[in-house]
Amino acid sequence: MANRQHLPGHPKLTTAFVLCLLLGTSALSHAGDPQEIVKTVCAACHGIDGNSVDPANPKLAGMDQEYLMRQLKAFAAGKRRDETMTGIIAGIDPLDFSRLAAYYGKMTPTPGKVNDAQLATKGKALYDDGNTDSGVPACAGCHQPDGRGNARFPRVAGQHQAYALKQLADYKSGRRATDPLMTTVGKRLTVDEAKALAEYMAGL
Amino acid sequence: MHGFSAFLFAAFGCTLAIAEPQWNASYAEKTEALSLKGDVTRGEAAFVICQGCHRVGALGRADGSYPRLAGQHTSVLIKQLTDVRSGRRSNAKMLPFADHSALSVQDIADIAAFLQQLPVPADQGQGSGGDLALGFKLYAKDCVTCHGERGEGKADQFYPRLSGQHYRYLLRENQLIRDGGRRNANPKMADAIRHYSDEDLAAVADYISRLPLAPAR
Repeated sequence: MANRQHLPGHPKLTTAFVLCLLLGTSALSHAGDPQEIVKTVCAACHGIDGNSVDPANPKLAGMDQEYLMRQLKAFAAGKRRDETMTGIIAGIDPLDFSRLAAYYGKMTPTPGKVNDAQLATKGKALYDDGNTDSGVPACAGCHQPDGRGNARFPRVAGQHQAYALKQLADYKSGRRATDPLMTTVGKRLTVDEAKALAEYMAGL
Repeated sequence: MHGFSAFLFAAFGCTLAIAEPQWNASYAEKTEALSLKGDVTRGEAAFVICQGCHRVGALGRADGSYPRLAGQHTSVLIKQLTDVRSGRRSNAKMLPFADHSALSVQDIADIAAFLQQLPVPADQGQGSGGDLALGFKLYAKDCVTCHGERGEGKADQFYPRLSGQHYRYLLRENQLIRDGGRRNANPKMADAIRHYSDEDLAAVADYISRLPLAPAR
């Protein structure tokens, strides 16, 4: 009910939510056909190939399936919250999670776009070396030098700046708490550092 | 009642003092990690969350911000890691990454096994070379008995290997130990360097940073 209250202000959200309500049952009846669920439930935000257009929505293409699976479960359990996803996830049969994760994990990610090369250069230094004064580790240590990630740590290469920034800010504020290590990193990063990182990761 | 608890405390404290040194006290998690068999392959995977700071290959950083861990004795690595996460050694930067939410006791044993067998290249940061004679003299007088002629340490005594370590890290930790800031340090060492000047510490750290590399045992 809380979700409905702000729906009128978010046309895209309304569509997605209504789609989810309408097609939730249909999705259940199509269990085993991830493409159908993707088309009707996920694609509006994440794209049919996992390369979202709206920079507020994450690209999922090429992310490790295990990682995607863990996030779907976290949304379903309320451990990760997002005003859109929290509503959407309720309409997806948990038995379909692994198929959806496999579907998007296998897609080819498109490159991101760097808008500020100078900022990206600052981001690279931080991504590769961290900040020894504040104790920010090099991002490359976990997310790998090329940002491709793995089962434990998500792909960050080519990700939209706006989405990456929102996640870093949410870790900093405690709104996202799916990984205690990232909570530490988020709290240690300055706003300017986060911006530089997001810019650099988009170009990886 | 008060007298009796004072008696108990004295008796207990006394037993502790005799049974084991405070700086290297046994506690459940350390004992468990030391008794577990570490697995190098698993340790390599678990070390991923450490390498953002300690770098790939655990080579540390010449600026002294993070020590080299490659080739260190497993006993030393386990003691330091469990000491940090149990609050016996202060390290605010490292604490969240050594926390129970980040590493299991088996992870600690595995990481130590992985680190101990890593190669140690001779590219560690060194001092200025300004007073190596003084460094040699001090090392021979106060350090060699425990840390060995080649800086190889003593695994069964929890004495760290020093050869291959970065000069700036050696200097920083020496200062902390001298000034009482490294709370899990051996008090014998703190006593030995209590009257060292900053120049003495720099000279001995410089000498150590130039020790020929020998494999840890």
